[in-house]
Amino acid sequence: MELIEMKDIKKDYFLGETVVHALRGVDLTIEREEFVAIWGPSGSGKTTLLNLVGAIDEASSGQLFIEGQEVKKLSDDRQTELRNRAIGFIFQGFNLIPVLSALENVMLPLEIKGASFSNAREAALGRLDEVGLSDFVRHRPDKLSGGQRQRVAIARALVMNPPLVIADEPTANLDSETSHKIIELMRDLNEKEKTTFIFSTHDPRLLDQVKRLVRLEDGMILDGGNEK
Amino acid sequence: MIKWIKIALRNILKNKRRSFVTLLAIAMGFAAVSLFGGYTDNTYKGLRNSAVRGEGLGHLTIYKEGWLEKGKIDPDKYMFSQEELQRISDLAEEDEDVILATPRLYISGLVSNGRTSTIFLANGVIPRDEKTIRGAWASFRPVKGEGLDEKKSYGVEMGEDLAKHLDLKPGGYGVIMATTLDGQMNALDIEVAGVYDTGSDATNDKYIRVPFTFAQSLYDTEKADRVVVLLDSWNNTEAARKRLLGKLSENGLNCEIKTWNELSLFYSKVKGMFDMIFMFIFSIVFIIVIMSVVNTMGMAVLERTREIGTLRALGLKRRGVSLLFAIEGAMLGFLGTILGIVLNVIVWAVIRVAHPTYIPPGISTAVPLIVNLVPQSMLTLTVFLILLSLIAAIMPARRAARQNVVDALGHV
Repeated sequence: MELIEMKDIKKDYFLGETVVHALRGVDLTIEREEFVAIWGPSGSGKTTLLNLVGAIDEASSGQLFIEGQEVKKLSDDRQTELRNRAIGFIFQGFNLIPVLSALENVMLPLEIKGASFSNAREAALGRLDEVGLSDFVRHRPDKLSGGQRQRVAIARALVMNPPLVIADEPTANLDSETSHKIIELMRDLNEKEKTTFIFSTHDPRLLDQVKRLVRLEDGMILDGGNEK
Repeated sequence: MIKWIKIALRNILKNKRRSFVTLLAIAMGFAAVSLFGGYTDNTYKGLRNSAVRGEGLGHLTIYKEGWLEKGKIDPDKYMFSQEELQRISDLAEEDEDVILATPRLYISGLVSNGRTSTIFLANGVIPRDEKTIRGAWASFRPVKGEGLDEKKSYGVEMGEDLAKHLDLKPGGYGVIMATTLDGQMNALDIEVAGVYDTGSDATNDKYIRVPFTFAQSLYDTEKADRVVVLLDSWNNTEAARKRLLGKLSENGLNCEIKTWNELSLFYSKVKGMFDMIFMFIFSIVFIIVIMSVVNTMGMAVLERTREIGTLRALGLKRRGVSLLFAIEGAMLGFLGTILGIVLNVIVWAVIRVAHPTYIPPGISTAVPLIVNLVPQSMLTLTVFLILLSLIAAIMPARRAARQNVVDALGHV
């Protein structure tokens, strides 16, 4: 069974009387363990596509299946549970909770699920160690550099051991050296833990690290199945 | 849950100034309501004592059925005979809450010093029972002179202003006149055995206390118009009334029983006025607390829209988001009331030390301003304000929870 299956997905936005066609009939299948980049210029529909795959937005038409379940048919609570269990998010702006330490931020998805404090803490410490932040567990986000914050976000995305991690422009706010390190880290985790990664970027320098590239332009996939 | 409490607390501390203003509004509201509640508690206690002990109403007054409606037209018919008085007294004193049941006869007429006359209202009481009823009140408003005495049947206690008008002092003599129950004019000599302050301008120039037998002699009767019952606690008033009414009825005595608060017009009026003022203050505090919490939580929701989007993306359900903000609101209420309790205690202590006094309207002497600390009321108010803050936070919290995740994440 495919991890993600999109069938003729369309997404329109209404800006007053103007209709913006963000996605114009996308068919995309993503298997488990893939490391996929969604590449395209600004306004091509990358973020919209990732939002739909992440079940945080609803398509105007078409069908989206995650682990075989049609997302549209799930209630808001079931979609939320699906996100918590099966999808890790890495945001462009890191989106860490400012009043929580790095460790508490990483523990958050587990605590939302209802895991005990000790289990959540143990798992979070393990993930922070993997991303090289063992010495920064007590630091709050405002005391961390951009690269460190994104590492915390990666640890948080992985702490539930989800089959899928979605990263929307994860390197957009980072310098090129840090960007490469972040993509390398994601790649390592993909290979080591077999977690599927889908990330969007418009930086061509990062593309040599991906296994599969999906090119998007004007809301349509131009090139979707390239194995590099 | 601990995690959400931790997040709520840290967010409150993060916006120190805004949170402090909200906490101060809740605290001042709490202190205002609690202090006024403490003041009315003491006032009600004083008025209750004044009615039960000072006015000598006791806790219950038993009348023959029909007395209150037609007693003035045909008093003899609606008064208790000696035999009835004995039975009522015996039945009442069987009750475990009853300390005393004593007959009374209210009389009115003219009192004279030999040169000038004026009207009077008098209460015919059994001196030893009156002492029991007055209890500690006697030392609060002591009688100047010897006071009523069983052995001196013509010795009376007179209101201060009435004694002043008639130029009578303890030891002075006068005459009181009234019509008997048969309609004959009767007059008896009196000796002013004591002078007392009734506590009210309206009664100080009219009231006299006379021995019960003296009142009977003046009205030429062996009857009494009422029986006053003193209970061990005012809290038992209603229950005792029900029991007594049942017991009297079972024994063929058709009576009406009035409670002290029904008879004390002054108490009822003052309580009505204070209750209204309390509701007014409470309503203002209610609005201030709601507005402050709604404003603070509304700002918090607006500022933390992206955070809400993130939490929703990480798997927090809508009700989880609502809960998070509701906890924050409740915590504001909790911390605000804690601060309110501190403020309350400080003001209470200052009043205790400064010991201010004032003369209330209609009262003849200055009374101290006393504010009671009423733990039960404070606890109720604390719970109420926490719930109020929680409810006030629910509105913005629901708005936060309803937001579209993508819109929330894209919020700048």
